[in-house]
Amino acid sequence: MTEVARQSEPATEPATESAAEPVPLIEVAGLEVHFPIRRGIVDVLRRRVSGVVRAVDGIDLSLNRGEVLALVGESGSGKTTTGRVIVKLTKQTGGRVLFEGRDVSMLWGASKLRPYRRRVQLIFQDPYETLNPKQSIFDFVAEPLVVNGLAKGEERVPRVLAALEAAGLRPASDFAYRFPHELSGGQRQRVVIAGALVMDPDIIVADEPVSMLDVSIRTELLRLMLDLRVERGLTYLFITHDLSLAWVIADRIAVMYLGKILEIGPAERVIRSPRNPYTKALVSVSPSPVAPTAGERARRTILEGETPDAAHIPTGCRFHPRCPVAFDRCKVDEPPLFDVGGGQSAACWLAEDGELPVAPTTLVATAAADPTPTTTRPA
Amino acid sequence: MSGPTFSSPMRPDESARALESEGRLVGDESIRDEADGAGSQDAASVARAAMDAEAAEVATTRGRRWTLPKDADPNVPLLVVENLRTYFTLESGTVKAVDGVSFTLRHGEALGIAGESGCGKTTTALSLVRILPSNGKVVEGSIKLMGIDLVGKSEKALRRYRWRQISIVFQGAMNALNPVQRVRDQIAEPIEERLNQSPDVARRRAGELLELVGIPRERGKAYPHELSGGMRQRAMIAMALACDPAIVIGDEPTTALDVMVQAQILQLLEDLRHKLGLSLVLITHDLSVIAETCDRVMMMYAGRVAEEGPVSEVFGRPRHPYTQKLLAAFPNIHADRRTLDVIPGSPPDLRDPPPGCRFAPRCSFAMDVCTEVVPPEVTFDGVRVACHLYPAGSDGTPITVPPGPAVDAGVAAAPA
Amino acid sequence: MSAATTAKAPTGVWTLRARGFREFARKFARRSDGVLGFVILVFFTIMAIAPQLFVGALESAITASGDGLGPPSMTHILGTDELGRDMLNLTIHGARVSMVIGLLATVITVVVGAVIGIVSGFVGGLTDSSLMRLTDFFLVLPTFVLAIILAPIILDMIGVDAEVAGLRATLVVIVIVIGITSWASTARIIRSQTLSVKERMFVDRARVIGSGNGHIMIKHVLPNVMNLIVANTVLVFAGAVFTETTLAFIGLGDPFLPSWGQLLYAAEAAGAPGLGAWWLIAPPAICVVLVILGFTLMGNALDDILNPKSGVRR
Repeated sequence: MTEVARQSEPATEPATESAAEPVPLIEVAGLEVHFPIRRGIVDVLRRRVSGVVRAVDGIDLSLNRGEVLALVGESGSGKTTTGRVIVKLTKQTGGRVLFEGRDVSMLWGASKLRPYRRRVQLIFQDPYETLNPKQSIFDFVAEPLVVNGLAKGEERVPRVLAALEAAGLRPASDFAYRFPHELSGGQRQRVVIAGALVMDPDIIVADEPVSMLDVSIRTELLRLMLDLRVERGLTYLFITHDLSLAWVIADRIAVMYLGKILEIGPAERVIRSPRNPYTKALVSVSPSPVAPTAGERARRTILEGETPDAAHIPTGCRFHPRCPVAFDRCKVDEPPLFDVGGGQSAACWLAEDGELPVAPTTLVATAAADPTPTTTRPA
Repeated sequence: MSGPTFSSPMRPDESARALESEGRLVGDESIRDEADGAGSQDAASVARAAMDAEAAEVATTRGRRWTLPKDADPNVPLLVVENLRTYFTLESGTVKAVDGVSFTLRHGEALGIAGESGCGKTTTALSLVRILPSNGKVVEGSIKLMGIDLVGKSEKALRRYRWRQISIVFQGAMNALNPVQRVRDQIAEPIEERLNQSPDVARRRAGELLELVGIPRERGKAYPHELSGGMRQRAMIAMALACDPAIVIGDEPTTALDVMVQAQILQLLEDLRHKLGLSLVLITHDLSVIAETCDRVMMMYAGRVAEEGPVSEVFGRPRHPYTQKLLAAFPNIHADRRTLDVIPGSPPDLRDPPPGCRFAPRCSFAMDVCTEVVPPEVTFDGVRVACHLYPAGSDGTPITVPPGPAVDAGVAAAPA
Repeated sequence: MSAATTAKAPTGVWTLRARGFREFARKFARRSDGVLGFVILVFFTIMAIAPQLFVGALESAITASGDGLGPPSMTHILGTDELGRDMLNLTIHGARVSMVIGLLATVITVVVGAVIGIVSGFVGGLTDSSLMRLTDFFLVLPTFVLAIILAPIILDMIGVDAEVAGLRATLVVIVIVIGITSWASTARIIRSQTLSVKERMFVDRARVIGSGNGHIMIKHVLPNVMNLIVANTVLVFAGAVFTETTLAFIGLGDPFLPSWGQLLYAAEAAGAPGLGAWWLIAPPAICVVLVILGFTLMGNALDDILNPKSGVRR
């Protein structure tokens, strides 16, 4: 079992608050999400598991208040699953989730989760699917208030309109009583954002919020999100497969591959001086609307093959089969995240010359009886 | 049935919305080639069979990759489109999806057609192979493939060219591949039917094609759902190459693929282009894909051509305000950060487009003439631009207009 | 969708609903089969609600107006039955009984079927498995055999002379039996649709904002299966009328309330086929066929409009 090293972040202790340093808003330690595979009826009847899909395979993350952390990865990397665990749509099978220092891993059940959900919201990828076609815009934005008992009847109106305006739909009354099919993709996504804002959350997890929109609309929405961060003190976990988007809006970038974080650090460092070969390759093939010169083409690292499926993760470093610079050790041992300076860490044996931080955390199984204090904050 | 099934793209992505906003009813139905009157032994079909046999010979002996149809003119550019207009009739009006588009494709060239959803690029591509829904029609213009005008041809006559001289790779390969047929068989089918080859020869050729696109031959036995996204797209490319076409049209061939897979596919297209002497028409909203693979690019907006020319010119020194804005709106990982330019407003309703230049309501350089007169296409420095900043006879120096807020503040202010 | 039309005045929810309805009406008007079905049903509904528009009060043995078994004539357009009652009179009054029973049975079927279908499909797990086994059980029960078995049992329970909502005991039995045997197939259909609605992103979104299962089922699943429910209801209604007719024909009906099935039963009992008295058989039979046809035509048209399979737009 590999030990997962903690990256060098402003020091945080789980479950205790230190007055000197701010506690990260969200912390994830040793997070695992494994899905059992059952093939066919015989397996189902016998409850036999013929394999495990290790969608998320032990990651540590901290999300600090006010920052934009981009979680970047290709399909199968586990980034969406991670986001879903944080907003508690998917249950983790191992590891812990901490909110403001308190362990919320065991917090489940619609009513128990209400306080948490008011503060942690999610923006989905598909503005065409996120809105119930039978529900008016007003009802969609008001629903969080109704479900959580925060407002009803007439009380909802000012809050809904304010949220719509904050999302850039002005005048709000023009949009509130329409139905989704009357709005364009960009407008729908703004409605989705308004729906996430209406409860005044602290954190928004945005899962590919602009990938289904036209290019010119993307930039408007991204701008909006950045403005909201300033106006409302929001914190974002921005999930995307597009490294160039992450480049443009993130403070820190974490690169995921097959369920693990292979590199994490300030955006400048990760993009301009990547220390993990996968990150390097991704950066080199990231498209740009400038015709590449011959030299640039030559420097491109186009990897062979595709990401293997998460039920058959390679031994040792999970990237080694496709890695252009893999050597013997990579096939056998999985590298932890090594601190390479400036807040950047890379999981690669070639980065080992950086220091290993002091106390690696060990994985904590969810089965451990961890009494869960409910997270409450005066409303 | 000969040829693959053509399904309309069904995914909720830009292309599908493009089709919707262009008035196309996105449907579940496969649009099949009409059953050819195969088997009639008149002189024409005998002659055709002879030609097909010759083509087959060429295909298998790796000679010249494609044959000229009988009435082709070898001295003209490969594809000349002039003043193409394709309209869709809806209850609520006629959508002028493509409204006067002209361009030329030369042998061995790669042309990119770029624009956002609703600009008419996909409809243009589909008009070339005439795979339009029942409410769409090419109402004007000419499409001359090797000198032969395809517009006036009947469906039956068109089938001689479709997939033989010109084929198309759809986006969302899953929708275009038959889920209950092995991949290898789907590739072999057009070879068997269109080139009149025996099943064995066809299958062997299919195997060669699979290897050509980077799929190991044994994987040909698989069904589409057993392949990954990248492999499926490769299979689609193999299918498009089955009859050794002269032109391959790629409709958003890499959207929805991972960045790494996209890079692989683009490299594959490059290699194939050089190996086989293909000409490529690449339709995409992603300017970086065009920068990567194309020699020339045509920027479309609201059914018309905004700018066209060599990629280095158009992307390096964009003349049309729309091109400028669109380039600025692309996040560039190799440039400084956070340069995100916003284009206010949204594209016009193509049932009732604004008079004059269609980009005028969102253009920060708009002048009075822009809302009244359609800008003429002007060519200079190898670049073709339709913008009043470059009036007829211009040498390339734009008229100086102080950039200001967009003319129609109401439309521009509407959040998109 | 392209340009935003912000110049328009805000429209309330009801205006939008009215607009949506007008849109639907326009589409429906184009379906000649649906319109035909609709016309047929309107005709019979009027007949059921206000038979006095067509004929006088229901004739009984005492008020019989003609000779027994008289063929169609000027005074009795559809002839008379063995007691001398005017067939036209009986047939028209029969509409009410058939339709009312059909309606009640349909309500039971659809409500039970929809609730079980939605809960089973949405909650999943053990609940789903058990409910589905239950559904399967009811799905294979033979309607008529069950009716024959249940009739005396239910009659025993509620008493032969009891009246529930104006219906005599025998008819209550029929309603219950039809309900018991029809809900299962509705449940299956609704569950299947629920399974796919459950996976849609807006359900995830409802969870993320803190909604509980009940809220999601009512506010998100139900409106999105409603189209299917409506189309299914119309077809269930057709089936209910048919089942009622058949049950009455095999003798489980009420001799005092002439549903069409009951009329057919009486005709059979009177030996009409052997006597060549086709006018005893044809009118009720044709009415049953027409009503079922009407429901089916309309149901199919509704299904096509409300649950479009082609035209993928969500």
